[in-house]
Amino acid sequence: MTLPRSVTIAAYASFVAALMLLPLVVSDPFWLNRFAKYCVYGILGVSIALSWGYAGVLNLGQGLFFGLGAYMIAMSLKLASATSLQQGSTTPLPDFMLWNSEPGAVTDLCCINKGSFLWIPFQWQWFGVAMGLALPTLVAGILGAVIFRKRIAGVFVSIITLALVLLVRLVLIDAQPITNGFNGLTDLGWFTVAGFEFDPYVTPTYYLVAVSLSVVLIGARLLVETRAGLILQAIRDDENRARYLGFDVPAYQIFFFCVSALIAGFAGMLYVLAAEFASPTFMDLTFSITMVVWAAVGGRSSILGACIGAMLINTIEASMSESATFMEAWKVVIGLMFILVVLYLPRGIAGVVKDGIGRLLGRRAVAAAPVVAAGE
Amino acid sequence: MSNKSALTIEEIGVDFSGFKAVDGVSMVVEEGELRVLLGANGAGKTTLMDLVSGKTKSTQGRVFVEDTEITNREEHEIARAGIGRKFQIPSVFRDLTVRRNLEVASCLTPGVFANLGFGFPAEDRDRVDEALELAGLREQAGRRAGELSHGQTQWLELAMLIVQNRKIILLDEPTAGMTQAETFKTSQIINGLKGRHTLVVVEHDMAFVREIAEKITVLHLGKVLAEGRIHDIERNEEVRRAYLGSKGIA
Repeated sequence: MTLPRSVTIAAYASFVAALMLLPLVVSDPFWLNRFAKYCVYGILGVSIALSWGYAGVLNLGQGLFFGLGAYMIAMSLKLASATSLQQGSTTPLPDFMLWNSEPGAVTDLCCINKGSFLWIPFQWQWFGVAMGLALPTLVAGILGAVIFRKRIAGVFVSIITLALVLLVRLVLIDAQPITNGFNGLTDLGWFTVAGFEFDPYVTPTYYLVAVSLSVVLIGARLLVETRAGLILQAIRDDENRARYLGFDVPAYQIFFFCVSALIAGFAGMLYVLAAEFASPTFMDLTFSITMVVWAAVGGRSSILGACIGAMLINTIEASMSESATFMEAWKVVIGLMFILVVLYLPRGIAGVVKDGIGRLLGRRAVAAAPVVAAGE
Repeated sequence: MSNKSALTIEEIGVDFSGFKAVDGVSMVVEEGELRVLLGANGAGKTTLMDLVSGKTKSTQGRVFVEDTEITNREEHEIARAGIGRKFQIPSVFRDLTVRRNLEVASCLTPGVFANLGFGFPAEDRDRVDEALELAGLREQAGRRAGELSHGQTQWLELAMLIVQNRKIILLDEPTAGMTQAETFKTSQIINGLKGRHTLVVVEHDMAFVREIAEKITVLHLGKVLAEGRIHDIERNEEVRRAYLGSKGIA
């Protein structure tokens, strides 16, 4: 069942190579930008595999962490946009704040409305970046501490996370003066590093996302290979056994929950760079559940599988929804796919591929040395 | 009384809103001793183990591992203080291989951050190999624990406790559901642990008890009814009346 390490390394290496070589094949900036977004979904797949596949925590509110990451960087990029800079105030000012301001309000970030001061530090792009990573992790830490210390498990974790993402979504929409409510944050500036602007439709931006995906992918894989990763899987299989072996179970669960949230927040930030907006739809229930479907189809207990599942489904979706007939039918297709996978392929595509390779290697080994293979 | 005590239980008890499952049990288990807990269903054997290992919080009394008080501490803290426990229903990590199961058990640094490294030190791997050998699971090392037979699963859990090398090992019905051959092998494994560990075993199977027992504590309705060598217990009138019935020990 466990494949030789060389096969795993080869799989990861070819995937990363394919990511890096893609721009040679796809030159259309529109498609390259699309693939950058799919890479972001791939990162989300990794974060789901980590929490669902390895920690056994089915988080139905991963969109919360994605959304928090997205909004944090979007706030910075909003202030960096040309319109925000040209409002005639001393500080850059988001256009929607101006439209919604009360007559006679001071046109400055400090006090145009009650909450606008929160935006002040976001004038520094790196503050947005730091918050985009720190806030999801922090929220996950607090949430995880409550859930796991109280020994809440299984479906109850899913219900809590699901409720929470909807709650935050409501608050986000309700805090219209500082979040622009339903409309989200649009008309953003470009992410800039040392004078280089990451235009979403150029190759360097694709590479920024693709390299990020590769790093996250390999990092997550290495993380589950550590002793802590092994103990985490043990906890997933039998929490009590692990507890009576002397492990502080919640500490492990909280740690990996935070890592998963951090990765999702990071994905949210990258998505904003590629898509140039942040909106409450990131915290829609459907989005969080769709992520779970990606991971299930790709193979939740495989980091690479979940990642490929996410990218594959989105690629298929994009090509299918081009035609009007399939646009609505797509939802049926994906729902059906999920049911079939759960029923017949609990280990997803990755499981099928692994079994296939395993059988292939097994057959070769039988031909070479029958005695050794018998033990496998 | 030359040996020092490994596990000391003082007047321990728990009150489940009026029902006292364990009611003021005191017991001293010496280092290296194998103690068998005997008793009818509902006598409080498993509850006593729960109280010692922290699964159930006691409402009275105290528990010590050597000189350290562990009363009502968190389960993982009690484990680290030196108590390993095997459950009545075998619990292993089903999706991990047998070797992986033992590797998890061999990891004695409990913290998350301390475990962010790769692989296990050579001495840990040696202990894993030793335990595989002792439990007769060497052939199964690469198999998923979920695929093992019932007996093998029990041995795997035992092997995990052996790898852990805790001072005190609590075994809750280690032969439950086993065939005669499996029971015999289990008694061999347990006899192999005698002296190296302090063992407390809950058991019903008298053939098995005769095989392993040194000293027996009989519980009845949450209280200690008798304590002594197997010979004395079998003859004890009170025990016969309360638990074994007039026919004596089968």
